[in-house]
Amino acid sequence: MNRAVQPTYTLDKVSEENFALNLGPQHPGTHGVLRVVLHMDGEYILQADPVLGYGHRMQEKIAENMTYPQALPYVCRMDYLGALSYNLAWVLAVEKLCQFEVPERAEKIRVITTELNRISSHLLWWGAFLLDLGGFTPFLQALTDRELILDLLEEVTGSRLTYCYYRFGGLPSDVDDTWFTRVMEFIEGFRLRLPRYHDLVTGNVIFYHRAKDVGVILPFDAAGYGLSGPILRGSGIGFDVRRHEPYSGYERYNFEVPVDETGDCLGRYNVRMMEIEQSLNIVEQAIGSITEGPVRSKVPKLIKPPEGEVAMAVETPRGQLVIYIVSDGTKKPYRVKYRVPSFANLSIFAKLARGQLLADALAILGSMDMVIPEVDR
Amino acid sequence: MVMNNPLQKALDKAGIEYQPTEFPNSGLHCSLVLDKEQVQPLARALSRNGFFIETVTAVDKLKDEIFECVYLFNHYEESLRLLVRVSLPRNGAVQPSIGKIFPGAVWHERETTEMFGIRFEGCLDSRNLLLPEDADFHPLCKDFSGVS
Repeated sequence: MNRAVQPTYTLDKVSEENFALNLGPQHPGTHGVLRVVLHMDGEYILQADPVLGYGHRMQEKIAENMTYPQALPYVCRMDYLGALSYNLAWVLAVEKLCQFEVPERAEKIRVITTELNRISSHLLWWGAFLLDLGGFTPFLQALTDRELILDLLEEVTGSRLTYCYYRFGGLPSDVDDTWFTRVMEFIEGFRLRLPRYHDLVTGNVIFYHRAKDVGVILPFDAAGYGLSGPILRGSGIGFDVRRHEPYSGYERYNFEVPVDETGDCLGRYNVRMMEIEQSLNIVEQAIGSITEGPVRSKVPKLIKPPEGEVAMAVETPRGQLVIYIVSDGTKKPYRVKYRVPSFANLSIFAKLARGQLLADALAILGSMDMVIPEVDR
Repeated sequence: MVMNNPLQKALDKAGIEYQPTEFPNSGLHCSLVLDKEQVQPLARALSRNGFFIETVTAVDKLKDEIFECVYLFNHYEESLRLLVRVSLPRNGAVQPSIGKIFPGAVWHERETTEMFGIRFEGCLDSRNLLLPEDADFHPLCKDFSGVS
């Protein structure tokens, strides 16, 4: 039976057991400082009301008070698990506004590093999701592999989490060839270890029953709430910005957009696991086709875009990020809007949690892969 | 007239002329300036043609004494980013809500309300979202100079 069509609980069964339960803001299940006020009837949720803003830093105002290069490191502090996608979105938006060229080698290194970052983000999600469901071993397994990616990224970007590696017009420094060899070695080893991930979790009967048919999102709702990323693709809509509006030369790579029709937690899980493999393919293709050349084109020292506006969309590990910049011709942006994927994705949570068991609601939240500083900005 | 894309269909339904802009330079397939009464019928037509909501926000044009309420829509099948702009007076700006057409718009509207002070008429929820619940200042306005 499809739980999205027939809720397991309806409001007319209200009894004296009703109470309000405060989940968070400091709770391991909410992955950050998210608070959810739950109106409960026993173990069932009558109504969920997410309370946001604990990590709100007014990122948009910060960007409006800074020059374009100054705002660059701030952008990566929003989504700390997929910082390179944010970094990329900001430089691409400014490059589009100023019409800067980017050398091909720089574009390829950008793709390689962003995709490695996407894998590391998905690995942490994988561990944390299973931790939410009560399994501790997967977390250790995922972090072991994630550590290898962090080491690789640290070598080229200089940091382990809040990377700020891209510059307007290219990259600050080139990558040496031995690094590519080590990335290929990692991919080879990781491909051998991936079946273990599936052996440990994907076929596990306890996991299957916790995730199957829980938190079903129908395609119609997905459009109404503006969902994107693996959550959307888990509901059968194959929307991916990398395919839809290719940037940084993604049209050159041969990759699939994984889709799962079920729309439940298991569907979202499967989509992310398939995405890891696609990202590995993209990295391999990019390294295979990389050529020697400059990594930074000539751009003016003072970034002063012409008057106008630009909307730049990028596929982050969590979905579609749009950076909308209004420029008034000065060296500071007049208005910056970050359309972050997690914000839109979290807005459907109240609808999904209604009528569910508390434990299932935590499974839903875990399957959504929230990064709360990104929601709060 | 040949109907070749969902945006054209939706705009035709809402009685609005379709004029694509140069997509690669601005990232916007189409950019419209509308009156505030036109937004709800357009949202309804977009929703029926498979569009999703990207965001609702505003731009404070202090010099012209107006707020520009900005909507971004896109389509899941082809890239048809639509930007809709509505000019509102800076004092007592009221805009009809599209929260009943796109449920996801409610959070975006709540954010715009607290950040700019634009009221969304008929919005299902008007509490502050990111700011503290008792905050009565609007930090993204250009004349905002901090709280004492």
